[in-house]
Parts: sequence; C-alpha cells; structure tokens
Amino acid sequence: MVKRSKKAKTMRKLIKAIWIFNWFNSCGFTELVPVVGSRWDMERFGMIIVGSPRHADVLFIAGYQTLKSIKRAKRVYEQMAEPRVVIALGSCTMTGGMYWDSYNTIKRLEDYLPVTIYIPGCPPRPEAIFEACEKIFKHVKELE
Amino acid sequence: MTRKTRGKRFTMIDEMEPAPKGTEYDFYFGPAHPGPGNFGVKLKIDGERVVSARADPGYLHRGFEKLMEYRTPIQNAVLSDRLCVLEPLNWNLVHAEAVDELMSIDVPERAKYIRVIMAELSRIQSHIIWYGVFSKATGFDTGFKMAFGYRDYILDLFELITGGRVYPAGYICPGGVRRDFPNGARDKILKVLDKMDEMIKLEELENPALDARAKGVGILKVKDAVRLGATGPVLRGSGMKTDVRKDEPYEIYDRLDFEVPVRKEGDAYARYMIGIEEMKQSIKIVKQALEELPEGEVIASKFKKPKVSVKMPEGDVYVRNEVARGEGAVYMVSDGNGEPYRTKIRGPDFLHMIPVLEYLLKGTQIADVPAIYWSLNICPADMDR
Amino acid sequence: MNPKEEREVEILEDIGSKFDVEGKIQRERRIWISIDNKELIKLCGWLKNQGFEHLSAISVTDWVKEGRFEVTYHLWSYKDKILLTLKTKVDREKPVIKSVISIWEESAQIHERELHELFGVKFKGNLDLSSLFLEDWHGPPPFRKDFDWREYVRDEFYDKENEREKVYYD
Repeated sequence: MVKRSKKAKTMRKLIKAIWIFNWFNSCGFTELVPVVGSRWDMERFGMIIVGSPRHADVLFIAGYQTLKSIKRAKRVYEQMAEPRVVIALGSCTMTGGMYWDSYNTIKRLEDYLPVTIYIPGCPPRPEAIFEACEKIFKHVKELE
Repeated sequence: MTRKTRGKRFTMIDEMEPAPKGTEYDFYFGPAHPGPGNFGVKLKIDGERVVSARADPGYLHRGFEKLMEYRTPIQNAVLSDRLCVLEPLNWNLVHAEAVDELMSIDVPERAKYIRVIMAELSRIQSHIIWYGVFSKATGFDTGFKMAFGYRDYILDLFELITGGRVYPAGYICPGGVRRDFPNGARDKILKVLDKMDEMIKLEELENPALDARAKGVGILKVKDAVRLGATGPVLRGSGMKTDVRKDEPYEIYDRLDFEVPVRKEGDAYARYMIGIEEMKQSIKIVKQALEELPEGEVIASKFKKPKVSVKMPEGDVYVRNEVARGEGAVYMVSDGNGEPYRTKIRGPDFLHMIPVLEYLLKGTQIADVPAIYWSLNICPADMDR
Repeated sequence: MNPKEEREVEILEDIGSKFDVEGKIQRERRIWISIDNKELIKLCGWLKNQGFEHLSAISVTDWVKEGRFEVTYHLWSYKDKILLTLKTKVDREKPVIKSVISIWEESAQIHERELHELFGVKFKGNLDLSSLFLEDWHGPPPFRKDFDWREYVRDEFYDKENEREKVYYD
C-alpha cells in the first residue's frame, strides 16, 4: 500500500469529474462555448458548468484581463472551496500577448492568482483544453 | 383584471398595490455572464418592477485606438480582427477599406468577390451565435446546443481557407486578400450552405414558449430608435427600411440581388425574426457571388512583396460598412508617415448597450430582462474597444 | 464635376450663403466643412432641420505641435443619403466647447462622456461627465499624444531582471 498524505487522498476522491465556474471572457467565449456544444461534448467526461463559485473545482481564466476585471476574478477565487485549480487560457493571459503595450491589461497572471496549468494559443483549440484536463487527472494520481 | 384558471383566481401584476415606501433595492446584473463577454448593469428594483437601469462598461477596455497608432497598416490588419471577437472578418473589411481609400488603391475584381463571400459567411456565423444565446436565455436549451453544433461547419471552412478557426490573421488586408481559394473550396462552400438551409428550417418552427416570452416585450418605436442612435437589425425591427449595403454600396453589392427584411412591431420577437431572415439573404448573396467569380489576381501589385514600411499620404477618410450588428465605421487621419495619426472606431454596440438598453429596461418586469437584453445582439468587446 | 454630385453641391451652396464656412466635396456622398467655434450650435440646429438626424460619431484629434484639439462631428441624412463632416478647433491648454446635447440628445451625450474621460475635453451643458471605462485612474488623460504608453508600461508592469521580459528593454 502506498502511503499518501491527507491532501492527496482528498484530491483523489474529489477530482474525478471537474465542475467549472462560468467566467468566460471575450476571447475565451468563442472557443470555450463550442466545448460545451454538441461537437466537442464535455459532458461525456463529467464536466459541467455551474453558476456558483462554491460548487466549482476549476476556474478558467480565458482571454486577456483588465485591471477592473481581475479584481472581480480574485473575489471569485477566494470564495471557492479547497481543493481548487486555476487554468490560464490563451497567450494574452500568460505574457501580455498582442496587447503588450496597453496601459489597462495585466501582463502576468501569476502576480495575482496561483496558476496550475497554462494553455498557449490564440485562441487554443478545444482539443488542447481536453489535453489540459487530462494532465490534471494525471497530476492528481501521482500526487503524494 | 383578474382571470379564472381552473377555479383559482390570479391577480395580474398591473393591478397589485404598489409596495410600501422604502422597499427599493439595488440589484447588480453582474459581469460573469454565460453570453458574450463581461458587462454589468445596475438595476434599481421596487417589488417586481425595474425603476431605473445604469450600464457599467469597461471590463474589456484595451485602448484600441491608440494601439493602432504604434503599428503600421499591415500590422494593424492583424489587430483589427480582434475588435469584435464574434465577427472578425467584417471588421477586417472595414479597416482594409479605410486604408485602400486613403492610399487610392485599385483592388482587383476577384479580390472584391472573395471579400464579399467571406464577410457574408462571417455574418451567418454571427447570427447563429445570436440565435443560440437568445434561445438559452428564454429557456430553450436544445436550440443552444443545435446552434453551436451547426456553427462548426462554417469554422471548418474558415480553417481551410484562411488558416484559423476563429481569427483569420488579417486575411482581408489592404490591397486585396492574402491568398487565393485552395482547390475544392467552391464545392465545400456549396455543401455547407445546404447544411445552413437545413438548420434554418428547424429554427423557423413555431415555439409557443418563445412566443409568450418574446412577443410584446421591449417595444422600441422608430422616433426613439433614431434619437437614441440605433442602427442595423434594431432599427429595422422598428419599421425603418435602411441598410448601408443598399444606401451607399461598397465592394460589389450594387451588382447583387438581395432584399432587406423590415418589421413594424419593434418588440424582441421582431428583431429575432429579422436575424433569421437575414441569414437566408446572406446565403443567396454567397451563391450569386460564387457563380460570378472571375479569374485574376487577388492582391494589388503595390502590396505583393511584403514591405512593412508602406507610407500613407496626408488626408483623412470616413468609411461606413454594415457589420452583423449594425453600422460599423472607421475614421482615419494620416499625416504622411507610416503609422496612422488617429483612428476612431465607431461600433454599433456603443449606442445599443448604453442609451438603448437603459431606455428599454425602464418600467419592465424583472423576468423580462433577459429576453430584452439578448434581443439587442450585443458584443461588449466592440463597445469597450 | 461629377453629374451625380448635384445634391451635394446644392447643400454646400445653401450652407455657404447662410454661414461663414470653408467646404469641399471629397467624392460622391461626402462633404467636409470647417467652421469656427462660435457658429457651431446654430449650424447644427439648421442641419438637423434639413434632414441630418443621425449623429454617427464625434471624435477628437490631438495636434500637439500646433497646440490645438480638433473636434469632428459626422452626420448622416437618411433622406438624401449624404455624410457631412464638421470640423472645429479648440485650444489645447483650455479645452472647453459647447455641447450639442440640446440637438441630438442621448446619442451625443454618450460620445461626449467618453471623450471627456479619454482626452480631457470639457463639454459645457452636459450634466453627466462621470468616468465610463476606467476605475481609480489617477494619471493624465490616456489618449493624449504626450503620454507615451510604452514607457509607462515598462515602468509599471515589466521587470528588467526577468529573463522573458528583457527583450522589451532593447
């Protein structure tokens, strides 16, 4: 029997089907909504969209964030219950991207929230989102 | 008036006594929407009635107009797809036309036909999103899933022709288009249009739940619509017959045969039905343009070998186009250098989301707010820029 | 002279007989007029009665070297299908101009509110000039030409020690 820490045991029980909180920013909307739609159906993997942050496991920060909207995202993050995961989608969230010289967008998401997985692309394809979720499952399995 | 239904009596909301004073409360219809982007509306509610509404924009403000002053026109062509994420090719076209007119470039004939085909496909794709989101807001979840399933046919077509599913990387650039249609594109476009015909037949089936929720709700009269600055399907739903493609034709729209749908009622149902009619007219336009497509070059010879330093002469120009949501326009001023000195972008949603929404939401019931809100076909990225 | 431009010539001559303007016809359906600050409201009221009911956009251009702001109004007539552009000048040190809200009401009010926030131009007569897009912004009006974005962003957001971001400092 492998000895696992308490955190690893809870995560293995809870993160089997991911529930996502609905925070679709503008560029993320065009590629996250087809993931909900009928061609790349995400309900077959157990993922659904919930309306309240208390029910959710994962927060998708999709698309560029401005100073006004990152404050609201931070409040949402504080209301989520442990264990929780933040996924950064798109290159504008990671490095500033195309708006690197704009005075109102944020340039590095890790200054504001603790990020687990980065998905690059402009915007990333729906298959990339599924690959990222698979990596979360693998990471949780190997956690000690 | 009270109604007898199966022996019980229900009192209509109009004849209920008003709530006692001091019971008004503030309600924030907040920024995490399932629909397009982030936008907030602050409502003041008294019982079940909305007393006043105030829009709260600015969650997506990047300062587009000044970003364009640091980049040359060819770099700006890539930036211009991201003006409104739900209809990228239409805004590409407006920007390219503004630079063409400033530099007095003759665009070749084949390029004009290809530009119109891509812009109309993008309009169909944008109206499908409108249909899907409006159905979800009024409770018809199957319509939402069906709409986004059919939209993927058009996105695959964009990937074949331009290289990107959502953002075409500046396909419609100043001087023409970047590259020609690949082999077999023409047959694929005709097959996709057949699928779109199939989808419209399903959309037009009468749905009594949608009728009850959308008829007679959010009525906008013609005089108010012109005073508040509405354009596009919102103005046509109130009874005025106007369309930029017919009033001042650009590209090749004066050679094509299509109609402009108009309705007189001005409620949410009329606007929604105009969206479906416009999809049918767009399919007709694409079929005509494909038949008449001539042979030839696709880009003006000045832009053939890409030199990033292209100089624009002094002057200023104002170009108007019909994007899927209304009238989109660009005012560009140049002082003789490579970069534009000032670009002003006029989007249709700037007027729809602030004056028109605040006017329509006053005095309605709180349960009607989603139907009115989604029937205006908004895109916050276009408003904040 | 293009035979199709008859209506544009009529309108321009009509305006020229009543007000003191400089005008030109750029092409079919485009008239450009420059006018002084003082006669602006009278001309706008007259134009609205002639059929120019739709205010398409109001825009401000910042000419730093000449020390002035140029305010442009773009008007569209549904009856004649012609676009008319009005240009006026305001001093850059004290940018105050009368508002056209008495003529075009709400559609003018929202454009003026945005321009007040981004350029700092004051519109007399407009009662609601509160901030629209920015929250807690304490710097200068962002769209003016003497506020360089690339320097501001380098100081505020980027870090020279970071390997990834050294490129922006070349």
